Amino acid sequence: MKRSRWTAADTAVSRLPSAVRTLRILFAGPASAFGTTVVVVFLLLAVFGSFVTPYGDTQQISSEAREPPSAKHLFGTDRLGRDVFSRVIVGARDILSLAGVGSLVAVALGTLIGLFSAYRGGWLDEILFRFFDSILALPSLLIALLLLGTVGPSRESVLLVIVIVYVPIVARVVRSVVLATKPKAFIESARTRGESLAYILFREILPSVLPTLAVEAALRFSYAIFLVASLGFLGVGVQPPSPDWGLMVKENRDYGALTPWALYFPVAAISLVVIGVNLMADGIKRVLSDER
Amino acid sequence: MPIHSLIRTSLVVIIVLLIAGCGGATGTPPPSSVTTAATNASTARQGTLRVAFDIPAKLDPAFASSDSEIAILNAVYDYLLDIDSASKPQPRLATKWETSGDGLTYTFTLANATFHDGSALTAKDVVWTFDRLRDPAAKLPTSDLYSNIASIAANGDQQVVFKLKQTNPFFLFDLSDNHALVLKANASDLGTKLNGTGPFKVTSYSPENRIELAANEKYFIKDRPGVANLTFIFFKEQQASVNALRGGQVDLVMRMPSALFKQLQSDSSLQAVQIPTNGFDLVRLRADRKPGNDPRVIKAFKLATDRKAIFDNVALGFGALGRDSPIGPLFKSFYSEDTPLPARDAKQAKQLIADAGYPNGLKLDLHVPDSGDRPDLAVALKEQWKDAGIDVNPIVEPESVYYGNNGWLDVDLGITGWGSRPTPQFYLDVMLVTGAKWNEAHWSDAEFDKLAKQAGTTLDDSERAKAYKDIQRILIERGPVIVPYFFAQFGAIKKTFTNFNLQAFAGRTDLAAIRMTK
Repeated sequence: MKRSRWTAADTAVSRLPSAVRTLRILFAGPASAFGTTVVVVFLLLAVFGSFVTPYGDTQQISSEAREPPSAKHLFGTDRLGRDVFSRVIVGARDILSLAGVGSLVAVALGTLIGLFSAYRGGWLDEILFRFFDSILALPSLLIALLLLGTVGPSRESVLLVIVIVYVPIVARVVRSVVLATKPKAFIESARTRGESLAYILFREILPSVLPTLAVEAALRFSYAIFLVASLGFLGVGVQPPSPDWGLMVKENRDYGALTPWALYFPVAAISLVVIGVNLMADGIKRVLSDER
Repeated sequence: MPIHSLIRTSLVVIIVLLIAGCGGATGTPPPSSVTTAATNASTARQGTLRVAFDIPAKLDPAFASSDSEIAILNAVYDYLLDIDSASKPQPRLATKWETSGDGLTYTFTLANATFHDGSALTAKDVVWTFDRLRDPAAKLPTSDLYSNIASIAANGDQQVVFKLKQTNPFFLFDLSDNHALVLKANASDLGTKLNGTGPFKVTSYSPENRIELAANEKYFIKDRPGVANLTFIFFKEQQASVNALRGGQVDLVMRMPSALFKQLQSDSSLQAVQIPTNGFDLVRLRADRKPGNDPRVIKAFKLATDRKAIFDNVALGFGALGRDSPIGPLFKSFYSEDTPLPARDAKQAKQLIADAGYPNGLKLDLHVPDSGDRPDLAVALKEQWKDAGIDVNPIVEPESVYYGNNGWLDVDLGITGWGSRPTPQFYLDVMLVTGAKWNEAHWSDAEFDKLAKQAGTTLDDSERAKAYKDIQRILIERGPVIVPYFFAQFGAIKKTFTNFNLQAFAGRTDLAAIRMTK
């Protein structure tokens, strides 16, 4: 496509590596290659999983309850005769969409707040970030439990909890980068050119925040998965009979000796995804630092 | 991979595995060696029995209700009489009793017992105890139960005479109610000062952690108690108490989910015991408003339910299959299988729902407390009812929320656990007759009410059996209730102890009978 005019936006884009190069570097190291593969596989399962599951995620075949893994039921069946393989796969959709959407919204909101507040500075910035600091002083699980105790457990409230818990963290990270960028000459010149606030924030400052943000987003995603699973395990998150991984661990905990497969496959799924996302985040960080 | 991310990821894995594997004990981990404290070596009693239970909240007998509270009180105090596993009254403080010909006067003769403070038990103490429990002004939980008593009087020091207003075939059972532990007359601070006649004396109490007791050397029943010391160690979670049993920190655990019991069965160091009980989970639909006020809807719910599948997979086959009535197979002469339970027929159920004016099916919230096997029962029902066009949304709540503000009496569709009682009449009177205190289904059926009253007052056992038979038929045909199973009660004790005789209400298990194996 031909471009009529060279814009500042193109500088921002050109500062990011191309998708192909990103992939090449992501797959260069064995650790990040593994992480990326795991994440991609689980994402594919989340999107197309319900087409490949042999049984419904809540379907109960009472005559086949508590069967160990076999060709018929790859991961065995749980106490009520539900296929654990189908539940783990459909569970991927639930947990990845909740954690994904939650962390995306948190990253977007946190970025907006961080950019704006740090650039403007002054008393508003002071008050806002002292408040965020006080939230960050509390363990996120505690805040989540308090919030869910107030609004009641549901998919939407879990989403809300992720956003509320992670916005301050993202905002603080963004703010620190903005504060370092603000005094630089190219911002000064944009201001003297008389550019609008939105232009300065999104076209001039945001690109320098993006590398940090990409790593932060990946980290938030992995912690969000962990948070959703923890809330499910504590029984205040997604409600039964949802195939939520954390909830499956909770429900099958007493059955650890009877149907260990119904307990350990969801546990393995949580570990695998969280490890995968973390390794991928390391990869992303390396790509971006190489680029700089 | 950088070192720090290695550490981070391994931490994540460890935390996930920890979450999966852990329960939490309350307080400090119980030390394993409280055993054989210096006690009277002249008796055959030896050893310390360490029992795991949940944290007791109220130790005043009038307010105690949980298994742990009753177990502690049953060790410190005595009942007038106990009900054995065959639902027969057995003597305890009352060594014998006589009933007048009209069935209105009961005379009890008392044992020569002494309180832990050294004073002797007299008839006055028994009179004071029951006058307190029945005083309408005191508004104790027992005042309804004993409202039929006209008077209680001492006849000398050793005899107590109860006079009733109306005949009550279950009066002896009522006297053995969990709250009816005999106290010293004019006792005060009952929640903290435990002065009973019972087999054990309290030596130390550390709230939310443990309570330690020593044998009462002057106990009036020969050879009881069998151990020198008894310690209750408190746990918040059943998984934690089972872990403590396997780890050797406690010797006895009672009450646990079926799945945990199943894994203890294979442990060779334990004697794992299960007994059937009269307790059950009740699935009920409010019958006084839409949609439950249409008999077709009630019938559809019953037809859509596969009780056998639930019994096999939710109760793991422990206990007994239910027949939509609280009169279970343990009430031998009262239990009946004369009315067949219709086989599951989701198609017919769907048709009935449509006929009742819901051609697109029904949508309802199913409220369920987060205890026992109830959440699993809700999930199993959701799937079964789906085939009949009944779409329920299980709402799993902590018990405090489910029962709080009487919410359980208000909701349309709910699951409630009902504990084991020695007579079936209790369930009918408080749960099913019109206007009963806990008539959670808000059901009202004239024929049922008449039969329930008849069964509760007649002194003729065969007449009562017939009334109960009809009641079971009515409940199967049109009662807005489903009883999928009766629970089993579970217990497991180290094989170093013997004489463990588990009761349906675990708190009433006689811990004084247990002794060390030779």
